[in-house]
Amino acid sequence: MALLTVRNVETYYGPIMAIRGVSLEVNDGGIVAVLGANGAGKTTVLKTVCGAMDPRKGTVDFHGREITGLDPDRVAKLGIGHVPEGREVFPFLTVEENLVVGAFSRKRADFSDDLEMVYGYFPVLAGRRRQPAGFLSGGEQQMLAIGRALMLRPKLMLLDEPSLGLAPTLAQEIATIVARLRSERQMAILLVEQNARMALDISDYGYVMETGRIVMEDTCERLKNATDIQEFYLGMKDRGVRGRRRWKQRKTWR
Amino acid sequence: MEMNENHTAIDGCVTIPELFRKRVDDLGASKVALREKDLGIWNEYTWQDYGEHARLAGTGLLALGLARGDICSIAAEAVKEWLFADLGVICAGGVTNGVYPTDSSTQVEYLINDSGTRFYFAEDEEQLDKVLAVRERTPTLEKIIIFDMEGLRGLDDPMCMSFDELLDIGRAYDAAHPAAWDREIDRARPDDLMILTYTSGTTGPPKGAMISQGNVMFMMATMTDSYTVFNSDEQLGFLPLAHVAGRMFYTFLGITVSSVVNLVESPETLVQDLQEVSPTVHFAVPRVWEKQFSAVRIMLKEATALGRFAYNLALAAGERRARYLKANQPVPLPLGLAFFCLDRLVLKNVRRMLGIDSCRWLSTAAAPIAPDLIDWYWALGKPMYEVYGQTECSGIATANLPGDCRIGSVGKATPGTEVTLSADNEILIRSPGVIQGYWNKPEQTADTFVQGWLHTGDVGRIDDDGFVYLIDRMKDIIITAGGKNITPSEIENQLKFSPYITDAVVVGDRRPYLTCLVMIDDENVTRFAQDNDVPFTTYTSLCHTAEVQDLINGEIEAVNTRFARVETIKQFRLIDQLLDPEDDELTPTQKLKRKVVNEKYSDLIDSMYRAA
Repeated sequence: MALLTVRNVETYYGPIMAIRGVSLEVNDGGIVAVLGANGAGKTTVLKTVCGAMDPRKGTVDFHGREITGLDPDRVAKLGIGHVPEGREVFPFLTVEENLVVGAFSRKRADFSDDLEMVYGYFPVLAGRRRQPAGFLSGGEQQMLAIGRALMLRPKLMLLDEPSLGLAPTLAQEIATIVARLRSERQMAILLVEQNARMALDISDYGYVMETGRIVMEDTCERLKNATDIQEFYLGMKDRGVRGRRRWKQRKTWR
Repeated sequence: MEMNENHTAIDGCVTIPELFRKRVDDLGASKVALREKDLGIWNEYTWQDYGEHARLAGTGLLALGLARGDICSIAAEAVKEWLFADLGVICAGGVTNGVYPTDSSTQVEYLINDSGTRFYFAEDEEQLDKVLAVRERTPTLEKIIIFDMEGLRGLDDPMCMSFDELLDIGRAYDAAHPAAWDREIDRARPDDLMILTYTSGTTGPPKGAMISQGNVMFMMATMTDSYTVFNSDEQLGFLPLAHVAGRMFYTFLGITVSSVVNLVESPETLVQDLQEVSPTVHFAVPRVWEKQFSAVRIMLKEATALGRFAYNLALAAGERRARYLKANQPVPLPLGLAFFCLDRLVLKNVRRMLGIDSCRWLSTAAAPIAPDLIDWYWALGKPMYEVYGQTECSGIATANLPGDCRIGSVGKATPGTEVTLSADNEILIRSPGVIQGYWNKPEQTADTFVQGWLHTGDVGRIDDDGFVYLIDRMKDIIITAGGKNITPSEIENQLKFSPYITDAVVVGDRRPYLTCLVMIDDENVTRFAQDNDVPFTTYTSLCHTAEVQDLINGEIEAVNTRFARVETIKQFRLIDQLLDPEDDELTPTQKLKRKVVNEKYSDLIDSMYRAA
């Protein structure tokens, strides 16, 4: 059975329906990517899973238990770590304090191991553990945000655009660590990304969203070879007979 | 109908160029001829604008060396430039051929070469690229003229020019040769070939139907004799002009009666544009009517119980009233009063929402339609008339008329047209609208046009009063392994009546029983799945869910009860890909093509017979 099952979810911002019926699954130890343009509803899917938003319709099951409508702290305690879009670290707390906040749901005793584990993945944070998080670079803040979620010892991590605003090498570094988290810690990851190439490289399975609906799903190997993905997400556009083409093929999502 | 030395004459004119010149001269800037929606604004073009643009396009082509009878192809949606270029070509003595904007570049290559196109009008960058991709292999092609230059600034290609450049060339040529335009118009003769319209053949590649000036003039006289169309009428132009129906209604009927043709912004904005224009006469294909009907049905599901009750009450009164109207009898006063009230309260709103409230009549053709659907429009308070014809007879051959109408039939032969049956019940047509033949295809011409009779390939019957009933395409009639003759379209029409089924193809020729392939309605089935908590991700997975399979099964079972046992569908499969008009399986009017579907899904079809 799947670790996370989202069924027929519809989520609204006031009167606006942002997700118009989304169903998806994440298996134990799997990395699943959700691709889509701005406003497709990717972030809303993650917010609905973690409990920050409640769906008007549909259900979210985690480990065979329905978690629809639970408060975000309850969801976090069940083992879902959310790394929000744009990092959202606490700028006036130190790096270490930020990490400790991530372990809010656990007893004090076993922190040090976890801190070492996080510093193991992100050595750069270890050197700056006493500095306020606001002084970190964008890439370091991203690492901190991931580390903060790791402190929960989650079974599933929701990653919202981890490569946002990062230099290509840093984005690559983050990608490598995401892949390591899965292989070393058997953690399942639901990854939302605009950087389609990176997402397809590290994920096993992918969903493509458009205007609040899933229009395509497949293994990442096959998605990489789909013509619509190549043209609209990977920028591999056929230049056309004149060497430059502005018009777009109609999307068929095959 | 006026006749002038054996030629159809309208207002003293025997050719379209003459008639067009007369309209432009008489109406000038005083009357709007066309409206086109651009970025949400309806822009108006008077007869003077229409005439001026056509004249400059025509003289531009003359300057480029257009000779009488040269073929010019136009690949565009229904945009104003299509009409300007069309009339420019026709008046200057050329022949216009329409290309569907959804045609692939392979099809474009075939059409250019088969017709021998010299001048090619492309709507935009996308249409241009299709020609450029094949131009090495189209030796007759000389010039490509582009309507919309967006994204093409800096295009430097000796073969290409913009429509505006063509008009400039025309302006200079017109100044130097002021008599040329009128001279070419005067040279037009009723027997001259005027337009080519490609029709997909039963076998082999498409054939160019050669429609003459006289054919069109006859068709216009027939249409205006059959239906009342006034110069104050508003039409909505949304069908592709490459199709004979779109061409006759928007281009030629517009010129004949000088009604206003409103061109939609794009095919996607049809629903809204229809509401905005609210045409007074409206012709559409069954697919459009089916969509309207299913929109209303879905809306009812979401309506309150009171709303549903009111609708059912009003529609029942509408049905009773329609029975009198169809039989040409006076409506009893109490029923008339009841309907009047319910109409004001309920039906008028439905009609306004659909955009058909101002219509005096609705007309449907080009594909089979379920009689129940026609009845629904009557009950809604709008008479709908089914007509029948082919490209090969320039449009209409039979029509249901106000006061002379039988639902389920395609009406009686129109004035000037003879319709009869061959020994094996094939419908034969003879009229001045029947064309000269197929372009460069003497063999197929000889097979189809025998001693003045057009062999339509449709099987039908004619009742004692002369009403024609279509049975099916001759080649589509299914003979099951048990030897039973079955007409698939009758079953398919019933299936399409379901809001969840967009189209279906019934299979069973030389097979033990009938099966069908179904194309589901994406929007309505998605809503069904959401309402019933059926998890799905993509269109494909939606098709494969047990609940959707059950839903469609239920719809098919319901239709099965209306047919004899041998005519029931025993198995079905869903086409699990969302098809696009650019796919081979769909016609430009979004209907499944039986032949292509049968070939492409042969494995799927076979699987329905292995199970047994």
